[in-house]
Amino acid sequence: MLNNIERCSKCIQSKNFPKIKFDENGVCNFCNKASKSTEIEASLIDNAKIKISDLFDNKVKSGEYDAVVCYSGGKDSTYVLKLAVEKYGLNVLAFTLDNGYIAEAAWKNIRKVVDGLGVDHWVYRPGSGNYKAIARASAVTDVYRKNTLTRISAICNSCISMVNITALKIALEKKIPFILAGFTLGQIPINAIIYKNHYKFLADSRKESLDKLRKEVGDVVDDYLCIKDELINEVKEYPHNVNILCVEDITETEIKDAIAPLGWVSPGDVDGCSSNCMLNTFNNYVHEEVFGYNPYEMELSHLIREGLMTRTEALGKINDRPVEQIEPIMASLSIEKNDIIAVKNVYDSKP
Amino acid sequence: MSNEVNLEKILSFVVDTYMVEIDEIPLDESLIDEGIIDSFGLIELASFLEKAFLIPITDTDLTRDNFGSINKMIALVDRKKSNA
Repeated sequence: MLNNIERCSKCIQSKNFPKIKFDENGVCNFCNKASKSTEIEASLIDNAKIKISDLFDNKVKSGEYDAVVCYSGGKDSTYVLKLAVEKYGLNVLAFTLDNGYIAEAAWKNIRKVVDGLGVDHWVYRPGSGNYKAIARASAVTDVYRKNTLTRISAICNSCISMVNITALKIALEKKIPFILAGFTLGQIPINAIIYKNHYKFLADSRKESLDKLRKEVGDVVDDYLCIKDELINEVKEYPHNVNILCVEDITETEIKDAIAPLGWVSPGDVDGCSSNCMLNTFNNYVHEEVFGYNPYEMELSHLIREGLMTRTEALGKINDRPVEQIEPIMASLSIEKNDIIAVKNVYDSKP
Repeated sequence: MSNEVNLEKILSFVVDTYMVEIDEIPLDESLIDEGIIDSFGLIELASFLEKAFLIPITDTDLTRDNFGSINKMIALVDRKKSNA
């Protein structure tokens, strides 16, 4: 754990974060840069709000649903599902990837929320052995470049890629024009609030990591992280990914208050940075061991800069971790401490 | 706008956004292959070019031929501006 590590005096980014520098007041370069770019960010968010309204108002309905919502059962995606239905009036298909590690309390939330909102719900559970093999390979080999992992742990990145690819398959097969997810700014860049999910264009950026995963796990990774040519070659128009939570000026407490009437309650068996997945504590532990900083530092620091969270609350979140879950998770993924030391050495040897 | 100004604008965006120094950015290599950007980086760059140079980037523009290096992006901007 990184309890005593030097951190920015305004946010929580720590001295091991890539390219960080502190000024004489202990304020990091990311905070100093953010204070200069707030006006530009505000204008980008205003433009995104207009574009979202335009997209939803002018949607051309060619299938049964307006949007597929990537629904993990966590507070953010629950709020997104509520916004999609109640604020934007979309006919949605909620989709949950069951990775085998969703907390039981989160499943109760999922069932209450989809029933409460009256939406169709589709659960996809990858074969347990295949999922674990992909998660293991992600944690103990250098599947991803360092810069990809500044705001996300390696296992989370593979899992979210699986969610994104499955959601895109659903959207293409069912001719759904929009894909929504519970991302916040800090998790994704501001220019990615709305984008066309152009599979072929983005395939280039995934090639290296897919090749590494194939080498470790086998061609089965293609079933979860690729889309077959037969489907892609028929695409006339890719769906838009629309991250509607990024344009909402809302605190975590306000989100929890808004979804409480649906019966959503905070699960007690996950860490402070997740409200659904029991892998998170382990993922953060590996990231800290390998890179020396917590993968939530950037996201939480963004919320602090936006005035949506206090520094004390953010520190509380990254320090709230059920460490007793780490060993059982390691055992379930057949990972030993030496595996983590080995991947750290590989990353340390890279520029 | 000259190609030098376009280059400066794109380099400045890459430096500010992806935590790299200007001398670490190759002009003729893929930013993905160099480990400077990931998939979100491609999305950001396409969006940046649209907004910074007021050009429409369409689905057919989204290829490695257009985004495979800084110089290829400058050539794309140049073509789009010439056709405007």
